[in-house]
Amino acid sequence: MSDKVNLTIDGVEIQAEPGSMIIQAAMDNEMYIPYLCYYPGMKPYGACRMCVVKAESPTPDGSYRALPGSPASCTTPISEGMRVETNTGDLVDLRKGIMELLISEHPHGCLNCHRIELCGPTDVCLRHVSVNDRCVTCPKNERCELKDTVRYMEMELTTPLTYNNRHLPLEVKDPYWDMDMNLCIVCSRCVRACDEVRGDQAITLKDRSGRSIIGTAAGTSLLESGCEFCGACIDVCPTGAIVERDYKWDKAVQKVATTCPHCPVGCQLDLDVNKRNKVVRSIPNRQAEANMGMACFKGKFGLDFVNNKNKLKKPMVRKNSELEEVTWPEALDFVASKLANHKNGDYALIASARGTNEDNFAAQKFARRVMKSNNVNVSSNSRPKLVDSLQDLIGDDCASNKIWELLDSQVILLVSANITEEQNVASVPIKQAVAKGAKLIVIDQRETELTRYATKWIRPLINSEPILIGGILRSIVDQSLEDHDFATEKCKGYDEFRNSLWDFDLVKVSERTGISQEEIREMAQIFANTEASSILYGLETISDTHIDDTVKSLVNLSLITGNLGKNSGGIYPLFSGANQQGSRDVGCVPNLLPGHRPTASPGIDLTEISEACSSGAIKALHLIGDELFHNTANRSEFLDKIKATNLLIVHESFASDVTDIADVVLPSALFTEKTGTYTNMEGRIHRLRPALGPVGDEDEDWRILSQIAARLGSEDLPYSSSNDVLIEITNEVETYKTLEADSLDSQGHIRKPILNSSYVFSPIEFTQREELLVDDQYPMVFAPGRVLFDADRDAGIVTENDLNTITRREIIEMNEEDANKAGISEGDVIKILGEKFELTGNAHLNGLHSGMVATTTLFGTLIESLNNSTEPDPMAKIEGLRLCKVRVEKG
Amino acid sequence: MKYKEIVSQATAEWTEMTSGKVPLIRIGTAMCGHAAGAFRVIKALQEYLDSTELEVNIQEVGCLGLCYAEPLLDIKKPGKSRLFFNNVTPEEIEYIVDEYLINEGYPKEKVFGYIGEEGPVNGEDSLESIPGLKLQNRIALRNAGHISPHDINQYIANGGYAGLYKALTDLSPSEVIDEVKNSGLRGRGGAAFPTGVKWSFLVGSPGPTKYILCNCEEGDPGAYNDKGILESDPHTLLEGLAIAGYATGASNGIVFIRHGHDGPIERTEKAIEQAYALGLIGNNILGTDFNFDIEVALTGESYVAGEETALMEAVEGKRAMPRFRPPFPAAFGVWGKPSNINNVKSLSYAPEIISKGADWFSSIGVNKSTGTAIVCLSGDVNRPGLYEVPMGMSLGEVVDDLGGGVTDNGQLKLLQTGGPLGGVLGPDSKDIHIDFDEMRSAGAIFGSGGIIVGSDKVCAVDLTRVLVAFCQFESCGKCFPCRLGMEHLLEIVERISDCASKPGDMDLMKSIGGTMEAGSLCGHGQLGFGPIRSAITHFEEDFRLHIEENRCPTGSCDRPKIVPKNTRPYATDHIAGE
Repeated sequence: MSDKVNLTIDGVEIQAEPGSMIIQAAMDNEMYIPYLCYYPGMKPYGACRMCVVKAESPTPDGSYRALPGSPASCTTPISEGMRVETNTGDLVDLRKGIMELLISEHPHGCLNCHRIELCGPTDVCLRHVSVNDRCVTCPKNERCELKDTVRYMEMELTTPLTYNNRHLPLEVKDPYWDMDMNLCIVCSRCVRACDEVRGDQAITLKDRSGRSIIGTAAGTSLLESGCEFCGACIDVCPTGAIVERDYKWDKAVQKVATTCPHCPVGCQLDLDVNKRNKVVRSIPNRQAEANMGMACFKGKFGLDFVNNKNKLKKPMVRKNSELEEVTWPEALDFVASKLANHKNGDYALIASARGTNEDNFAAQKFARRVMKSNNVNVSSNSRPKLVDSLQDLIGDDCASNKIWELLDSQVILLVSANITEEQNVASVPIKQAVAKGAKLIVIDQRETELTRYATKWIRPLINSEPILIGGILRSIVDQSLEDHDFATEKCKGYDEFRNSLWDFDLVKVSERTGISQEEIREMAQIFANTEASSILYGLETISDTHIDDTVKSLVNLSLITGNLGKNSGGIYPLFSGANQQGSRDVGCVPNLLPGHRPTASPGIDLTEISEACSSGAIKALHLIGDELFHNTANRSEFLDKIKATNLLIVHESFASDVTDIADVVLPSALFTEKTGTYTNMEGRIHRLRPALGPVGDEDEDWRILSQIAARLGSEDLPYSSSNDVLIEITNEVETYKTLEADSLDSQGHIRKPILNSSYVFSPIEFTQREELLVDDQYPMVFAPGRVLFDADRDAGIVTENDLNTITRREIIEMNEEDANKAGISEGDVIKILGEKFELTGNAHLNGLHSGMVATTTLFGTLIESLNNSTEPDPMAKIEGLRLCKVRVEKG
Repeated sequence: MKYKEIVSQATAEWTEMTSGKVPLIRIGTAMCGHAAGAFRVIKALQEYLDSTELEVNIQEVGCLGLCYAEPLLDIKKPGKSRLFFNNVTPEEIEYIVDEYLINEGYPKEKVFGYIGEEGPVNGEDSLESIPGLKLQNRIALRNAGHISPHDINQYIANGGYAGLYKALTDLSPSEVIDEVKNSGLRGRGGAAFPTGVKWSFLVGSPGPTKYILCNCEEGDPGAYNDKGILESDPHTLLEGLAIAGYATGASNGIVFIRHGHDGPIERTEKAIEQAYALGLIGNNILGTDFNFDIEVALTGESYVAGEETALMEAVEGKRAMPRFRPPFPAAFGVWGKPSNINNVKSLSYAPEIISKGADWFSSIGVNKSTGTAIVCLSGDVNRPGLYEVPMGMSLGEVVDDLGGGVTDNGQLKLLQTGGPLGGVLGPDSKDIHIDFDEMRSAGAIFGSGGIIVGSDKVCAVDLTRVLVAFCQFESCGKCFPCRLGMEHLLEIVERISDCASKPGDMDLMKSIGGTMEAGSLCGHGQLGFGPIRSAITHFEEDFRLHIEENRCPTGSCDRPKIVPKNTRPYATDHIAGE
């Protein structure tokens, strides 16, 4: 880090980061220069001209040379010894002049009114200011940067300029957000956030001069403009021009910083809570290192479930086949009395994917110590093989590098992950890296948002990924692109691994994967010929039996190119569940005890638990959270199987198909009602803070379990607060030892990594083993894709019930030979029939592998369905883009 | 092919063509000719010739400068001078061809004059003796009206690419820059910054990819000299661009032309193609190791795209909105690469400066304004045209001698110079000389070279309204002072023009103007108040009459007004006029 720059602002000597602009230097030193278009973290723009200053810099002869005119401080870089004046009379006049112009087209009836402080939104206005011109009727009232700026400047605001209200109709037909362009000051922050930060370009600056305004380029719905509904535009809007629709006018009486429960990125959110105990808004934290001020559609618009009226408020016990509300002591006594008979290994516990470290630590301890059963798991742990080998080979089981290090990766390899939907914010640095020139290789059968950013999008045959990566490894060796020093000095087992590659003849690999040898060689060159390459893998399209091989190959790939232990390199497993990492850390998985200690007698996995339930091997099932298998076809099967148990205890917040069959339902606190910690995919520990008071008798899961334990006569869970649990965790879990719970802020705390003395290569095998997804009735594999915007395919927008809706005819990609056999030609209307769905579209014969069909829908359609959903928490139950078996028929 | 071979071949072709063995008809088809109907004349000519057995060579040429005389056509016969005919209509073709080519007579009715060493054909005057040509000293436009812009060989036969050849073979890049510096050439885009100094900024910037941009946005009403050069002689620009590329070490040249300038676009693209074919641009130019590519870039119709940083945005395919500086283009230009932006005229001088030397160029002109001024004279003047005259000529000479005085024997009331942002000069401006510094100190700029003459029939308020409307229409909408300030200025000027002003309007305009001047991001907003300020300075009386006596002295404010609507604030939808 180079030395700081010294400069003087308004006579105060300050130090600032070299290269910063004057305004940022001032902000960093807690000095304020009025501004409207600047936004920290985005490139300067220089449009509003409010931040004008006078500046002079020293010349070699000791005198000072003034910068010409009144430069904008957001676009003027600082220099050593610079002297800046921010509040001379001229500057103040200039700012007032600009503000008067600005106010002339912004509703300002309340800005120059002496009653404003006393006036409520429904008060009759004595000054006869029209409703549209009042601040008190603006959704952003008292959160408005424009108003704050006017107040700071102490302006009279009696201007002779004509007031031009734009009288534009409100745009309220798209999901989740409202746009009132009469309030827009055309600072373009939203456009820049969308383009520069999110890479989406869904909104743009339209028209020119007096009509410059924000909108979609074609003037139609956001659903088809490429919007990912991340809300970044809303978060940066200085006025009420773009706002969240829900609770639009609600004022916050409290702001609570907490962690998003939707995915393993662990975005830090500031929740606005109104006086009616509701979370009305979620605003991502700009200082948080996990999300850098970003959120996604789930974190921004998918938290309303916490306000749902139908929250379970009382414990319930099934009596005479009906669930009846009982008191806590009754419920707990009942549970304890029943569980006392299940301490012989026929008990299993599945903790919640949203459980905190504290909840899940308590859960595993409850199962193992109190119930003497190793059958404990967390529902997000549906694919443990995603990280098992990773831990064996490199030591740690979470991302080796931080999320935002991806910004400086030169090559990013993304294997089978729909990251923009599943771990959205982690895709932001990837998109930005690509914009800066990084290369992105996507290996995926499905077309996803990031395939559009990809330098190379590779669609191998189903389940051939381990062979494909093997081919890349072989090609790296063939082309002598390996980092030999790293592979031999920092790693073990290189020779053995290298020998295992001789099986990977590129001719064979190409045949098995359907990818040409040139492509494989090229990928090898792209990935190996850089300073820093990263790998992200979700393996969402790969069958369970192939996951382990793929993970091993990917670790080998990272090791052979020397990308581990390096900035902006590394390997990132992409699992689901907000606290999957923490659950693993605290031992809430069948094969690991807290602190990653292996257990002598591991429990059974999630599928095995459901089998055991139906076979009678497990008689008591304790289910926390109902998200298990929610996004797979196995859900109903799973429910059927667990019905067979004698005792089904469910901790839940909402009634669902699981509570319908439960014997006991215990109301569980939501993430907004809890204190605790989550650990994100980087191993960063974040705090959850209670934002809402309880509405009923719901309670936190660790406390419920500790009370049951006490009733069962156990003293293993003697906790009176979640902090007690955390203290025990820090004692038991090696990687959490450095955590100081009291000082945990929005930056989080990166847990201590587990380090092996050296990395280990794993020999790989060219297997012909191939798991078939298909059967006679459904002989083809369907790869559903989803992107934000699709220029090639027409989408129409129709407005129904005042809501925009996408109408479009899907295009179904198909192999020519398959089509010929079925008598289908280009453009024919065909039908895809799956076990549980049906889709009609036009055939497009484009050289897809034989035996596959694929289609790409618009993300807008998903958003539409989420917006219309009556589920309490639809965002948590989005159907992922899973491969499935289908048959194709002529329409 | 070696350069000398190219030249000898081109010269042979030229000599053959201009001998007139096959009668050579040249007709001006630059914008002025086009507008006056040159293409209709050509069509009539071809149709008539087809009906005869005559073999004639028709060549489209550029503008001789005498726009008022267009369509201007001349015929060269063996041993005779070029005989010129002015304001030719399709109907007169038959007479001219019959008389001069078929009957070997003399079409006395239509003769305008002659040019040529052979002397008068039949006693007519030399065209070069009329003030419109006599007072000119054509450097950038040296070939305009004489050669066809469609044929690179005609350019080469007239000394074309000799400057580039000399630069590449005799001079080092720094010697080229020194030559341009010594010539005193200043940028003709408006800022009048020394071109050689500007070029030297790019020299130190890191390569290998560096851009020289040529700005032919030319959106000023009343300016047509850039278009004139590209339509009359595009190769002089390409040669200048290549010389600049060599001097600065640039790898690429981009000629940026506004959409809709069809003639210049078409002719420049064709010229680039021909120059590539002869190896005059591309790789290993003229056998040296100098590589330089040139392409044409177009953008939407936006005046602000002529601002250098907005131009770079536009070249990149983005909305043409100015960037802030620093970083300056020499460090961070098109696609983030070092760039240097020059006006068409500035670059078009380079070939002759290199061929004839800095001293020759600096001997023309006055003071710190060397070389020539390319004046686009229009408005209430008898002989509007495109005149290239030595710097230092007085505005009186321009209006009276070149322009032949104000129309209808009217009095000169005002001169609008340097584009709409340049402001106006009053009736006492005849003694001001065309000199960058002198004009600036008089409160105007020479700028792009447009001079619009206003007679005493023009109302200063009405003119101001039109200028402000233009500036408002063309604001890009990025920075607040310009976007909002122009809107309000226009509204107020419209009020005054409608004799419906409100008390304090003059002060209000001044205060808005002050905000725009100090606060705007780019020159458009900073200069946007210029037209009003200069109008108020020179024609306070006109404003007073509108405000105090509610009348327009000339009546021109009473005519229906054309108001561009699609940039006015949405709120004005229901009140704006036509």
